[in-house]
Amino acid sequence: MKPVVLMAANFLREHRWPALLLFAWIALLALAAADLTRRYSAPEDVMFYITQQAIFICVFSAFLAADAIHNDRKSKRILLVLSKAITRSEYLLAPIVGASAAALAYALLFDVCCLWLTDRAHMPSAGILPLALLVMAGSILAAAVSLFFSTFLNPYVAIAATVLLFTAPGSLHLQHHAWSAWLPGFPILIKMIDLKLAPYATISWKTILIAMAQAVIFWGMAAAVFNRKDIAVPVE
Amino acid sequence: MPGVLDFSNVTKDYGIPWSRRRIRALEGFTLSLERGEIFGFLGRNGAGKTTAIHLALGFMRPTSGAGHLLGKPFGDAASRARIGFLAENVALYHRPARKLLRYYGGLNGMRPQRLQLRSSEVLRQVELELEANRNVARFSRGMQQRIGLAQALINDPELLILDEPTSALDPLARVTMRELLLEANRAGKTVFLSSHLLSEIEMICHRVAILDKGRLVKLGRTEELLISRDRYEVVARGIPTNSFELSAYSLPQVRGLPLDANLAGDGRVQFTIPAAAQRDALQRIWSLGGEVLSVNPVRRTLEEVFVELTNKGSVL
Repeated sequence: MKPVVLMAANFLREHRWPALLLFAWIALLALAAADLTRRYSAPEDVMFYITQQAIFICVFSAFLAADAIHNDRKSKRILLVLSKAITRSEYLLAPIVGASAAALAYALLFDVCCLWLTDRAHMPSAGILPLALLVMAGSILAAAVSLFFSTFLNPYVAIAATVLLFTAPGSLHLQHHAWSAWLPGFPILIKMIDLKLAPYATISWKTILIAMAQAVIFWGMAAAVFNRKDIAVPVE
Repeated sequence: MPGVLDFSNVTKDYGIPWSRRRIRALEGFTLSLERGEIFGFLGRNGAGKTTAIHLALGFMRPTSGAGHLLGKPFGDAASRARIGFLAENVALYHRPARKLLRYYGGLNGMRPQRLQLRSSEVLRQVELELEANRNVARFSRGMQQRIGLAQALINDPELLILDEPTSALDPLARVTMRELLLEANRAGKTVFLSSHLLSEIEMICHRVAILDKGRLVKLGRTEELLISRDRYEVVARGIPTNSFELSAYSLPQVRGLPLDANLAGDGRVQFTIPAAAQRDALQRIWSLGGEVLSVNPVRRTLEEVFVELTNKGSVL
């Protein structure tokens, strides 16, 4: 596990500037949504911020993980890394762990910003923590899915495929079917879009656990595909 | 008994994107490295050297055939903990040299205390201890290559696989690299060295393999490869120069002999003759009252052997 942690830390270090940019983005937009010129924040602005940022963090995680393999292959840095005593599945786990660590930090910042905003807008804040957990789960799943697609697709196409996988069931109005709870990413997305802040909220453990199980499955599938790849062949 | 690195009838084809055509990079390649040797791996660009190395490290799978690295099938992660690899045109993460070495050592499961010790040792070995805290992004190409070698040595490997390690180095750095490899070999490490620099291979390698168009065209001990069995070098003395020339022209089997002859100041004559003309040439020298001082197979340079083999395309 130590090599995975090392690679994950290195992955985060390599992506530190876009990651820090998102931190600034979350904080700056919170300031904008708060509308400090007024005594109270507008509830509709706060809701817009919460929904938008929750989805945005998941999308960013997909972006973060999608170019991990491509960057390393293009720069040929992958050769020295995979010449060490690590398996390809461990190598693939690193961007997921790295993206998860980033997602945890985003979720914490997001949680703090949301609590502050709901307080300013006099809105109930009980649903913020469950939402932050959903954001975490959604981010990890998005990272795993985009990483899987990136094992055989260009990173940009991999991101598009991930977004399509998460959103297509919505376009097909599948949310009314009970089995839609098992579709990857879709139930999390629906919960984010249909978010209503009530005085009492419960954590959707089932949705979170399903997402985590799916992340593991996608990581396994990514490893199965990547194990068969000629990684020394140059990529464009 | 398996060798340190074994290829057994390995063939590798590359597919061309959007096409059914395939390019054969390696064909029926068989090779076995002996423990403790420095092995030179030669071939023109595109001969298949790097493909063979990448197969050994598990970066790609052979189309057919199999191979073993330190007794385990190619691709086994645990066996890679016992090797050191330096890629051609080494690409490093942009971090301070010492941290980078610790990172690569950590990937091999080395403990922090040992890493601390080894990183200082290898930085000293590659003469970069004063640059330990500088970011490798600011290093020259040669310094990056030396850090590349340092990361290959960090885990004190049994086998070093080096793909063009001296390509970016200046002559002095090449000498240092050569000494490092010899030192590593004296410490019991096996070295697999792919290089274009034939003079270096000639100087340090115990055995050499020459690859051409994906096929092994020559394999043998360096000394044996350099000795020609077709031509001999004869040193004689006491032959009158004019009679020598006349006699040479009158001897059909050694026609052209005086053209190769080299007259030394002390009356010695040195010339090369075809192997088939050996007996006649010696008899002629004796009949002229001369004395044969030595007859030895001609020693060629590795470059001559390489050019001959890769142009001819003969197969082992």
